[in-house]
Amino acid sequence: MYYVAQVIRDECTKYNCKQCTLFCPEPNTLMYTDETHHAYVLTERCKGCALCVYVCSNLLKRDSIEMVYAENRDVAGVR
Amino acid sequence: MSFNIFKINEDLKEFMPPEIVDLEEKATWGNPKRGVMDLPYSKELLEEHSLCAGCPESAAFRYILASLPNPEETIIVNSTGCTSLVFPHIALHTVHSLFGNQNAIASGIKRVLEWRFPDKVKDVIVLAGDGATVDIGLDCTLQSFFRQEKITTICFDNEVYANTGGQESGLTVKGHVFKMAPKGKQWDKVPIWQIAIDSGCHYVARLTVSSPKKVEKVIKQAIYVAREVGPTYVHLYTPCILEIGLNSDDGLEEMRRTDKERFKFFEYMTDEAKEVIQRKKEEGLI
Repeated sequence: MYYVAQVIRDECTKYNCKQCTLFCPEPNTLMYTDETHHAYVLTERCKGCALCVYVCSNLLKRDSIEMVYAENRDVAGVR
Repeated sequence: MSFNIFKINEDLKEFMPPEIVDLEEKATWGNPKRGVMDLPYSKELLEEHSLCAGCPESAAFRYILASLPNPEETIIVNSTGCTSLVFPHIALHTVHSLFGNQNAIASGIKRVLEWRFPDKVKDVIVLAGDGATVDIGLDCTLQSFFRQEKITTICFDNEVYANTGGQESGLTVKGHVFKMAPKGKQWDKVPIWQIAIDSGCHYVARLTVSSPKKVEKVIKQAIYVAREVGPTYVHLYTPCILEIGLNSDDGLEEMRRTDKERFKFFEYMTDEAKEVIQRKKEEGLI
């Protein structure tokens, strides 16, 4: 039982910033898709540090990422 | 080393792990304009490393590997420390020798490569921690600067020997207390960037990794100057969040704070280095 990041797609599509993908310390974990214009998390690689939440909520005030229990994540929303 | 090393036999492709297939299909090879803005889309040259959650050093690795102008012809020499845990996960040639002699090894590799492949551009980059650069390997580091070896030296400064429990290093700030330095450090932090200038480096920069684009620019400038002119030195602040008692999501905030203090952006370049950087800017490579 551990936390992983999950992108709130409806919020994320409003912006085109990609900042979370740059500041995530894990390689190829937070990626961005131009097809539907939002970031997404590869949950198997996420260590749950919540740095993306700090960037998205504290620095940018966009509140588009949340931490969820790995078991409770939106499986349909994970690519 | 060449890009061909990552070409997979078509008949075996279906059995290969997806990360290896991605390395052939989605990594950015052969493009000198590659940079951190490829990170949201492309396969990185780094794969699931074993550093702590939220470690700023791992972010530094992502930016550096994304900024290498010529990754398929780059050799990275590393040294003992947290950084050495990452190198088995990097898809480039890396060399790990004894603790502290990384610049001596890099000098030898660069000289042999120049002799063996006179018609190719080969970059040799040293990535080492503060202990390897300033304490144990200071001799080899400075000697390579004195000899004007054409290598780029990058120091990950976390201001402590982090993975051995928290002993003070030459780059620890005066007065800082760690688990294995309970009295606090008695002496000042070694101004290694200034020593690098005095020792003959042609490009020196000191910064934190709080700004990916700035790191990209500095790394590219350092590599291009090292190719043509002589030794370059980049000093990156990558705090150890565990040893200074921060949470996993506090690393960036700590770096943003020190951006305004002791790690305020500092850059030095000689006239020859300025010429190279100006030329590369005109070519659109920086």
